[in-house]
Amino acid sequence: MTRHRSLALTLLIALLPLNAVALEVVATLPDLGALARAVGGADAKVTVLASHRQDPHYVDPRPSLMLPLRSAQLLVVNGLQLEQGWLPPLIRGARNPRVQVGTQGYLDASFFVQRLQVPTARVSRAMGDVHPGGNPHFTHDPRQGARIATALGQRMAQLDPAHAKGYLARAKALATRLNALASRQRARFAKLPAAKRKVVSYHRSLTYLYACLGLTEVTTVEPRPGIPPSPGHTAKVLTTMRQTGARVIAQESFYPRRVSQTLARLAKGRVVVLPGGAGPKETYEARVMRGVEALHAALAR
Amino acid sequence: MPFPVTPADATPTRPDGRAPAGGTPWARPAGRRVARGLATCAFVAAVALAGRASAQPASPAPAPSAAEMEALRRATEGDRAAGRTSPRRPAGGVAPTPVRPPAPGGAAGMASYRAQAMVGAMNPDISLILDVAAGWFSDDKPLQTGAHDPSRTGFTLQQLELHMASAVDPYFELQTNIVFAEFGVEVEEAYARSLSLPAGLQLRAGQFLARLGRQNPTHPHTWAFADQPILNGKMLGSEGLRGLGMELTWLTPLPWYAEVVVSTQMANGACCARSFWGGAALPVRTPFDLMQLVRLQQFFPLDDDWSLTWGLSAALGPNGTGNGRLGSNRTDLFATDLYVRYRPVASRVRAALSWQTEAMLRRRQVPGRQLRDWGLTSQVVWRYALRWEVGVRGEHVTGVVDDPLDPDWSSARQRVSAQWTFYPSHFSRLRLQGSVDRPSWRIAPVYAAFLALEVLIGAHGSHDF
Repeated sequence: MTRHRSLALTLLIALLPLNAVALEVVATLPDLGALARAVGGADAKVTVLASHRQDPHYVDPRPSLMLPLRSAQLLVVNGLQLEQGWLPPLIRGARNPRVQVGTQGYLDASFFVQRLQVPTARVSRAMGDVHPGGNPHFTHDPRQGARIATALGQRMAQLDPAHAKGYLARAKALATRLNALASRQRARFAKLPAAKRKVVSYHRSLTYLYACLGLTEVTTVEPRPGIPPSPGHTAKVLTTMRQTGARVIAQESFYPRRVSQTLARLAKGRVVVLPGGAGPKETYEARVMRGVEALHAALAR
Repeated sequence: MPFPVTPADATPTRPDGRAPAGGTPWARPAGRRVARGLATCAFVAAVALAGRASAQPASPAPAPSAAEMEALRRATEGDRAAGRTSPRRPAGGVAPTPVRPPAPGGAAGMASYRAQAMVGAMNPDISLILDVAAGWFSDDKPLQTGAHDPSRTGFTLQQLELHMASAVDPYFELQTNIVFAEFGVEVEEAYARSLSLPAGLQLRAGQFLARLGRQNPTHPHTWAFADQPILNGKMLGSEGLRGLGMELTWLTPLPWYAEVVVSTQMANGACCARSFWGGAALPVRTPFDLMQLVRLQQFFPLDDDWSLTWGLSAALGPNGTGNGRLGSNRTDLFATDLYVRYRPVASRVRAALSWQTEAMLRRRQVPGRQLRDWGLTSQVVWRYALRWEVGVRGEHVTGVVDDPLDPDWSSARQRVSAQWTFYPSHFSRLRLQGSVDRPSWRIAPVYAAFLALEVLIGAHGSHDF
């Protein structure tokens, strides 16, 4: 009897951490994961599906990615069809009614940001890989990060009312910090001579960052989103760089670099490789600053 | 730039970082936003113009020299040949970009375009896939086993597939595949799938491809070769193993991915259940007159780059050789499949190497004896560059003497195929394929060459791993 009782007690203790488990959050992309970690604090356990080293358009929907989704209470997605090629089979396969599209456990970050480049006329695939809802790469902009943090705080508070105060307080503090960071950096970039505030991108994925920092994108290395550059188009890019005086080509780590490097050499400029997302242990602010510093250093040279 | 940036683009975020009321930025009262946007635009434009003026060189920039053009040409080719540019086709499927309804012409566009887009957002995903091929065979009577294979010298319409899918409500989704081919129109798949069952369960009901092995539940659009493996054609059917029925799957709570599938389906159809009742029109009297299937599928992420999927399946049912005693003769089909994929996450190459192997063993009772045959298909596909892929496939399928289904197929048949595919984008592909087919009952091998084209329009859902 005593033995049984002690066994039951041991079992109970073993199960206790499961009962006291934090809010289970799954984020599709590293930046969203970093924001969720900051807002969730110790009250949430955050898992990120995609690696910061890979292009978020192209992630293999490996069945192992369904495992964290099985028990998730909140799924945070970027939206605007960025994850369209790999997320639907994962949601379907995870068989978790709590994170289906349209539920409270499904948070589409694009609902909370100020979208850019929203098509105002009919789109066609002849235009390349365009996103009909607007440019989806908004997590590069800390101001949009602030909006997402706020939305995350509110949603986490709804899902886990016991820790609502903490979520809301952390979200508010983070949003304030991010907006202050954005203002500071905008002012800092404004001090650069106007001639230096011009950038060429590889893909049209840094639009939000430029909007935040007051930079102008003069052209892109890709002729159309997702269409690889041809020699004819790169010649046009080179001419544009020379005409506008833009010297810096910015791109995320997962895009090819040979064309950009050649262009930079010919235009006597340089390539800046920006982070594609927050590292596994990195804060969102640190990741934004990492990119901003690299860009500033290149533009100021 | 094809898209004008909306006025909201230039406005700074509210300092408190709060999302706008209602969560939808475009739903806010427009007046103040437009005014602020215009002012900001004017300012930004002024700054940009000033900047441009100061940055303009005194004389127009010279066009790139011949040497510079050569360097750029080499760089673009280098990025592509090394596969360093983005192949825009995710391994698990296609990233669809649904085309919204057209905006009415003229400047009135925006509001009504958005209104229409909202209406369009309720439409199901609709896509149309065309597969056509030009083929050549060294023999007038090639032995292709798939209903959608290129199967004659000349041109073949492999299929025109109309795929439609949508959530029905929070509880079900509907998936349909209607196929137009040279022989007519067929409902290839049409099933409802549950979305909110508890405990890791999922239910499918309707007409669907049975989950026997890796190849069978898929459509030609995701195949690595222009034709169906002869193993699938012989053991399952020219259209694969499919039928009306229902399926229950369970994602187990184990710490690795392990999925259990059980299904029961009608065992008739010459196209799609040939090892079972096939074309015989027999009445169902007991549950044993249906085909029963079980499958266990497991996935092991060996590391970030390597994946391994392993499946074990069995399909049991009646066959049509009862000789008057209905349903008394049985067919057992056992299958195993292994899929190993290497895709280095960190590399900008986004190349991938996939190895897929399937083996099947079939046991059939026929009057007076038991027939036993087996087969193996193994293929390696290497996505080596931006738009290019190569693959080889080897097949070996045994035969039995006096097989009622394939009287000629008395001993082993082997086929080796190689393919080379060019993907202009992830919505089109051009595939060159050659094969040598050695049926032991024919004097000469059958050589074949195909050039197959596939194009896809519309919104097509993404595929499982």
